[in-house]
Formats: sequence, structure tokens, C-alpha cells
Amino acid sequence: METLLGQGRAAIDLIIDKDTFVENEVGTLKIEDPDFGPGAVIGTAKLNGETVTVIANDAMVCNPNFPVVYAGIIGMEEAYKMAKAVYHTIEADRGKDTLRPIVLIVDTPGNGPGKQEEIFGMNNATGSYQLALAEARLLGHPIVAIVVGRAISGAFLCHGLQADHILSLGPQFGTMIHVMPISSVARITKLDQEFLENLAKSNPVFAAGPQFFEALGGVEELIDDINSIGQVVTKHVSEVRKLKKDGQPTGPWARGILGFERGGRVMRKKVMEVMNQEFASVADKYLSA
Amino acid sequence: MKTWVDLQTDSFLDANARQRAIGLVDEGSFTELAGPMDRLQSPHLPLLGEAVEFDDGIVTGVGLIAKRAVFIASQEGRFIGGAVGEVHGAKMVATLKLALDSYEKMKKDNPSLPDNRGPVAVISFETGGVRLHESNAGLLAHAEVVDQIQKCRGKVPVIAVIGSKVGCFGGMGFVAAQTDVSIMSPFGRLGLTGPEVIEQEMGKDEFDSSDRSLVYRTTGGKHKYILGDANYLVEDSIGSFRQKLSEVLSLSQDEINAHRRIGSLRLVENQLNKVRLSITLKPKDSKDVWKYAGNDNPESLVDLSTSDFLSVARRLKFMAANEEV
Repeated sequence: METLLGQGRAAIDLIIDKDTFVENEVGTLKIEDPDFGPGAVIGTAKLNGETVTVIANDAMVCNPNFPVVYAGIIGMEEAYKMAKAVYHTIEADRGKDTLRPIVLIVDTPGNGPGKQEEIFGMNNATGSYQLALAEARLLGHPIVAIVVGRAISGAFLCHGLQADHILSLGPQFGTMIHVMPISSVARITKLDQEFLENLAKSNPVFAAGPQFFEALGGVEELIDDINSIGQVVTKHVSEVRKLKKDGQPTGPWARGILGFERGGRVMRKKVMEVMNQEFASVADKYLSA
Repeated sequence: MKTWVDLQTDSFLDANARQRAIGLVDEGSFTELAGPMDRLQSPHLPLLGEAVEFDDGIVTGVGLIAKRAVFIASQEGRFIGGAVGEVHGAKMVATLKLALDSYEKMKKDNPSLPDNRGPVAVISFETGGVRLHESNAGLLAHAEVVDQIQKCRGKVPVIAVIGSKVGCFGGMGFVAAQTDVSIMSPFGRLGLTGPEVIEQEMGKDEFDSSDRSLVYRTTGGKHKYILGDANYLVEDSIGSFRQKLSEVLSLSQDEINAHRRIGSLRLVENQLNKVRLSITLKPKDSKDVWKYAGNDNPESLVDLSTSDFLSVARRLKFMAANEEV
């Protein structure tokens, strides 16, 4: 197998225990309308014997009610469907000692860019899903995202970047992580494309590709053996559990620290130190209530 | 140099980020943190031969409203459209984190701290989202902002104010939706995909971005108020925003929570009412939604002054979640 691009359902099968995926059911949630957000695949499965919630993209279907939503695009219905899966995961385990993991299988080119979407608030839909994931993560559910195809801009922001750990198949499998390809960056910034492509080799902050996100601390681990992805996801679920138990950071904050350690984002830390120092010197004036 | 008193009557739309930050809090109370003197500028722009700003296009700091600490991040649209790069994003993240750390400290020192006396955070949005010149770092910073907003919930009220030229789009459109309370002027615009991008991706038939009236009807403050995405609509002056902000800050944490548009299963179900309405109504224009909400002559709302609009406009209602407190 050379790529999983556009094959979100095949990726689910490759990751979870054989024949354990029950689609459209999470806790008490049962989604019965097949036309509701068909590009978002949600359900419950076993991973290494443990119950997990799976959220993935299906690039092969179109949303019959929203013409701009196809090829794995996350539209309003898709985002709310994903958010519901997360909230029902939280409800299913409320009060339990061990909280089930959530596995995000990422292959999405963007959010719905249409007039209906803007009139009714596409930003609310994907914003909901992000908050749901952040809530589940902070409650203790291990969330591991794995990029198997496209992880583009705002769609990656909602489906992936709130995870505890993010994994990606290496670029040899056709995976793409970026905000915009360099050709588009060149057009919008009016900078020379060849110049940008050369610079991208030494400066990963605007280059397209999972290896550059890895250098910035935006991806914890790149995977080179496609047949091992189930094992690697399982390994990271255990690692995340241990980190959380030990009170160690995970998620976006931890990736900020990782970005510094890997040398990809060094100003972030300095900015935070300066702001903390400057506030400490005036804090008494503001925190006397 | 304008005085604080001048700023109160100044247009919010025309004000720069620093004027907004200074004018939104009590007179003389604003202290800028990581200001231009610190020269925390983008390390990435010079490599592309682009000019830098010493504040990276965002003014961050702390002020007071009625003795309550208000942490502010105010974006500057005049610098690369207010776009979020590594430094800009880190300043916003740090602003939220300082507010939360301050809350934890005050709560520790005084366990009976009343819930409307702790710190708050205010974001004055003016941005198209990620800065393409350092896009990967900008994207990662967005995820950190979302993380901080979730961490602030129930502890530090986070309030969005939107009324500047660039509007609030891209990833910051998610962030604004995730705040506890949103305040807009009719000139504020909030969305995900900006009008030019929709036109470029889907064609002029889908969206004509040169039609300014269409642009404002689709993402502007009046529409967002009718839809419930803006909790409050105020006049275009810094003083009007400040006045509304101080009213919101007198509320209890439960009352603040009641302003949320998203952030729970119940609110997801409420938003899904709008998605279903989108399918059944198939509006060609926001005005079709205004009419559905009970505004029999939607065209008449377009040019009404803010106060006249507020006195007659009917808001889309499915349940009580979006009602003003």
C-alpha cells in the first residue's frame, strides 16, 4: 500500500482491531440519517482490545444538501456530527476512572467555503468541534490524531490540532500538511515562487509538508511503515495516558514547547517570558481585588 | 496624541489597535506588555524581504474596568491585515494565559473571591487569520489560543469585540465564536471564509465580493446579531464598546455562560436548527433569514441606525440559549 490519500475508511480498518468498527454509534448517540454529514465518519471500535471513539473523513462522498462539501471537506453538518461524537464520548465515560481514547483519522482539504456556510456560521460549526475536543482532552480522554492524507489549514485546525499527540504518515505516502501550497503563497504575497521554494528548505514555517510540521513541533512523530500505524497509535495512547497521569503537558501547549526544543519556533518562548516578567512588575496594581 | 476622553467618542472602525486597547479600559489604567520597545518582531518576515513591526501587529496588555483586571489583545489590521504569525499568536496566547494564571493566584489567595471580581480577557479582533508568510507557525498558534479559551471557561470570561475594518475571518473566526460573549458594531464582520476567497474558489455567481452591501449583509454585525452570533450590537464608537463591556463585567459567571453560542451538546443541537433551516429555506441572501426570523420588511433594516435597528429587529429564535440576559 503506497498511500491512504482519500481512503479514510481503509485507514480506519488498518488502524483498529479487525471488524470492530460500529459506525454512527458513540455511547447513547445513534445517527440514523445517512445523508447527515456523510463526509464525516464517526463510530466506536476496539483498538488493542480497548473501546475507542473513531472520527475520520470520507473523501468519496458528497453532501447532498451542501454543494461545496465533498472530497473530505468538513462542512457544517460534518463538524457538528464530529462534535456530537466527542460530547457523547465524554458522557459515556463520565465518572469513570479510565476514559476511552479518541482517534482522529485526518484526511481533509478544508472547511465548506460557501455562501450558506457564511450566512449560517461555518465558524460556529468547526469552532464547536474544536472546543469539544479540547474539553475531552482536558478531562483526560487520550486523543491521538493521525494524518493519512490531507491536513489543510482550518480543517486541520479543527480535525487534528486539538489532539494530545499528532502523528503523520511520512511525505512518501503523499500526506500533505499546510495552510496553502507555496504556489498560492507566492501569488498572494507577490513573492517569487522559486525563491520561496528554496527558502522552504531551511525555514519550515511556511513550507508545505508533514516533515516541516514535525520540525516545528506540530507533529509528534512521523511514521515510515504504513502497516505499523495501528501499533504506533496504540503506543501513543499509552504515552499520552502516562503523561497525563504524571501531570505532564500534552496537546497544543506541549507542541509549543516541542517547537522550541526542535528549533522551529524559538520566539514563542521569549514572547511569553517577556510578558510574564513585565506583568509581574505591575501585577500588584491589577490584582488587588 | 489623543486623550482617553477623545477616544471614547472616536469611531471604533477607524481606531488603531493601541487606541482600542487604551480606550476600552478605564482612563489611564492600560499597561502595554511586550510593547514595541521590546522589539519582539517576526524572525521570519525579514527572510522574505518583508517589513516588520516591533509589536508584530498586536497590542497586548492589561487595564482595569471598575477595579477589575482586564487582559487585552488588540489586533492591528494595518499590518499584514492583522494576520497571525508566531510572535503575534504567542502574544495572544500569553495574554489569555496571564489572565488565567492571575485568576488561579487570586482564587488561591482568596477562596471566596466573588465570581465577577476575577480577571477577564478581551480580544479586539481585526484579522484574516493565519499569516501566510509564516503560516505553519500561525496555524499552530491558533490551536494554542483555542486550548487557552477552553482552559479559561468558567473561570475567566473571554469577550470578543469586533468592529474593525478587516473583520474577523479565517481561524480567528473560530476563536471569536468560542469566546463567552461577543460584542459587534454594524461595521464588524465575522465569518470563516472571506468574501474574496469564496468568490475565488466558487465563482462570482456564488458570491460577488465587490458587492459591499452583500458582504455586510452576510457577515456584518446586524446579521450576526439577528442570528445570535453577536450577543450585543453597539454603536461604532470606542465608548459604546467600553460601556457594553463594563455592563457584561458586572454579570455573574452563570450569566456570562448563558451568552455562549457554542461549547456544549445542548448548544450544538441549537446550532443544528440553523443548519436544518439552511436546507429548508435555502436563502439566496441573509435578508431571507431576517424575514424568517420575523422581520417582515428586511430591506428596511439595512440602512437603519444602530439604535433604530435594535428597537425593531427580531432575532432568530429556536430556544432560550441565545437570549440576552
